[in-house]
Amino acid sequence: MNEREIHVTVNGDTRSWSVAPGELLLDVLRREAYWGVKRGCETGECGACAVLLDGQPVNSCLMFAAQADGRRLLTIEGVAHGDRLDPLQEAFLDHGAVQCGYCTPAMVLCTRALLERRADPTEDEVREALSGVLCRCTGYRKPVEAVLAAAKTRSAAAKPKSARRKGAAR
Amino acid sequence: MFDQLRAFHRPTTIAQALRVFRTERRRGGRGAFVAGGTDVVVVGDRRLRYLVDVTNLPLRYIRRRGGGWAIGATSRMADLEHSAQLRRFADGALAEAAGTCGSPQIRNMATIGGNLANASPACDTAPPLLALDASVVVAGPAGRRTVPLDRFFRGVNRTALDGGLLIEILIPAPPIPRRGRAAWSFQKLGRLKSDIAVVNAATGVAVDQSGRCAWARIALGAVAPTPLRARRAEALLVGRVPDRAAIAEAAARVAAELKPVSDVRGTADYRREMSRVLVARALEECAGRLGRSS
Repeated sequence: MNEREIHVTVNGDTRSWSVAPGELLLDVLRREAYWGVKRGCETGECGACAVLLDGQPVNSCLMFAAQADGRRLLTIEGVAHGDRLDPLQEAFLDHGAVQCGYCTPAMVLCTRALLERRADPTEDEVREALSGVLCRCTGYRKPVEAVLAAAKTRSAAAKPKSARRKGAAR
Repeated sequence: MFDQLRAFHRPTTIAQALRVFRTERRRGGRGAFVAGGTDVVVVGDRRLRYLVDVTNLPLRYIRRRGGGWAIGATSRMADLEHSAQLRRFADGALAEAAGTCGSPQIRNMATIGGNLANASPACDTAPPLLALDASVVVAGPAGRRTVPLDRFFRGVNRTALDGGLLIEILIPAPPIPRRGRAAWSFQKLGRLKSDIAVVNAATGVAVDQSGRCAWARIALGAVAPTPLRARRAEALLVGRVPDRAAIAEAAARVAAELKPVSDVRGTADYRREMSRVLVARALEECAGRLGRSS
């Protein structure tokens, strides 16, 4: 009853969905087959349902779908470039930072948001960015190493040689 | 999860929000205002029949006003935490407290208005706001009223809102004595930084040019049904140089003003003792900051 139409941009695609007044964003995303958005605790503790809302990580289990109207969402499905993984995803694989994988989409998204803001984060900043995603398999050490390595790759790729020299001179 | 909701409204003005809330209330059933959802959804009250979302209201701002501050109620914890101006104000006590309100994702969603309106005894932004003599502006059918924060909290999850909508937080310019100065501190005890507080505390100390305390503010959370000011302990400091002995005396006095409960996070005795420790730590930090700036 009282469904409303919302318009969202998910992973660059425009989508229009009919949502019920009490529907949560997590439920709608999974209904729409964005299964990389994981259902965990549903009380905002574990962070497995994290998505980027206008570039910032939020827990989709605590947000009403209606509140996403007009906003831009990024889920793990939108991180790779076609068949090519994002360097951050590659780094997670290279460092063995994935075990059962349930928390991995959220870890990638939360640290991606960090890298957009801070190209060269400290280990503390990486740990802080991961602090809202609970991993019950292996821990955080390998994900932290992966993110720090990805930051190096990204900034090396982003800067042409002249800019790197200029950076060094400062 | 909220299958029983008949309506989810998204007004864009305060007047509209109040009007739609009133109309829904007449239709019957329980309703609420919602912003970040980090309390409303977690509590998951199945009796709710309608929600009025306030995140489309123009209430997301942090502005200087008359030497003090006006903060819109839907400002996110992350907005406060990252505000360069707020981090410089009152030794960053409020920005620091906002930065401990849950995980990064929670801080991108949770609003300062929601944090206060939820009236958790452990609300992290309350102690610094109490120490800063803050008030809240409540909009209701009969108009707007300003309620000092120390009269806003009425009990666990109970406030003076009375069906109104919290729209703004006002912080007056701190009354710093002529040729004197002031310092603030925020302290929190939890298992991790972003956990719910076992005890939290904020203090403010102003000294005159002779170095004597002109006024002190000591506010605590999670040690009574509401966040509170420890006024008798504050009074002990006035007129004295805030040295180690004066601080120890004031911190010891705090325990007498509290009504802590025992729960999974700590016993009442533990909370009382940690209140003393945290207040001493906060006052020492204030004294240190006052000493350094002289």
